[in-house]
Amino acid sequence: MKATVTVKYFEEGEVKDGELMMNGMRSFIFLAAIIFLFSLPAAAFGHGVNIEYQTTKAVEFTASYDTGEPVSNGQVTIYSPDDPSTPWKTGQCDEKGRFTFTPDPSMQGTWDIQVRKAGHGGMIHVNVDGEEAVAGSTGYTTTQIVLMVACVVWGLIGTALFFKRRKN
Amino acid sequence: MHIPDGVLPTAVCLGGYATAGAAAWFSLRKISRQENPREGMPKASLLTAAFLVASWIHIPIPPASVHLMLNGLLGVVLGYYAFPAILIGLFFQAIMFQHGGLTTLGVNATVIGVPALLAFYLFRLRNILGRENRVLTGLFGFLAGGGGIALAAVAAFFILVTTIPAHLDVEAEQASIYALTLAHIPVMILEGVFTAVVAVFLQRVKPELLEG
Repeated sequence: MKATVTVKYFEEGEVKDGELMMNGMRSFIFLAAIIFLFSLPAAAFGHGVNIEYQTTKAVEFTASYDTGEPVSNGQVTIYSPDDPSTPWKTGQCDEKGRFTFTPDPSMQGTWDIQVRKAGHGGMIHVNVDGEEAVAGSTGYTTTQIVLMVACVVWGLIGTALFFKRRKN
Repeated sequence: MHIPDGVLPTAVCLGGYATAGAAAWFSLRKISRQENPREGMPKASLLTAAFLVASWIHIPIPPASVHLMLNGLLGVVLGYYAFPAILIGLFFQAIMFQHGGLTTLGVNATVIGVPALLAFYLFRLRNILGRENRVLTGLFGFLAGGGGIALAAVAAFFILVTTIPAHLDVEAEQASIYALTLAHIPVMILEGVFTAVVAVFLQRVKPELLEG
């Protein structure tokens, strides 16, 4: 059994540095005046909210067994390009074997992702440095496997026939 | 039961190669001391093909699907040829299906191949009780076929449980290893019955094909 890991990138809007700006006394007086004058139910208008954002590149992957079944709740270990021996992040796939993470843009290079469950699993190497979104997967297609198996089985039958041949 | 690359520590992988090398050397020495070592080659070659294809046939038993192993059957029919046959089969499985891996080839060959040799020794015990007895052949075939899987499952269980890396959720991983090991019980029965049927059939049709 193996785990097939497919990877794609997508642009992800990320809320960053959510910042609350309180305008202090002036706002308070303004608010109090409104309440007083119009006797409306109070609402907290007084805090200005400033949201900064930036888009970032995320890696989403899906792990499945070669039967097509997802590796549900498979354990994910991610190694960064800077330190391929210490886990950079660990986590767990969802029920459908999916997992998403945002690589640190300051670390360019190949990220190694391992998915494991009950001693079965797979590893995929994702190159995060280009600007374009890429997709990839591990493993061979069924046609390739059938062709390879046919060749090897034919070789083994040939071996059997060679040793079975009549001696002259 | 095919442990893939990247799951086991390097020391365990090297240890696996050492034990697999020793088992291969032992088997080949026994084969070379036979009267005609080439005689077993055709059936060893054909059963390697069967072993290779069998791992591609999946039986869905949650949490993972399991597949036929046939190591007990190989032991019964091939005797000492079983270990080299399994080693070659595992090599092709690793590169074609990504079942197992090249770094773990030694570990997997030990986990699957050594129980095949033990199944062969077990099956040979029927000679003490009576070689011609069909019921005994079936019974020992069942024990050898089921025992081959059981031993391999237990060996893989111990290797996996004792080498879980600390950065993983150890309890979750343990639980899924337990579940996977238990999922092999139906396969054990299935392979036991299959091996018994093959053994009884060969006993009747071509008894010289059975080793031991």
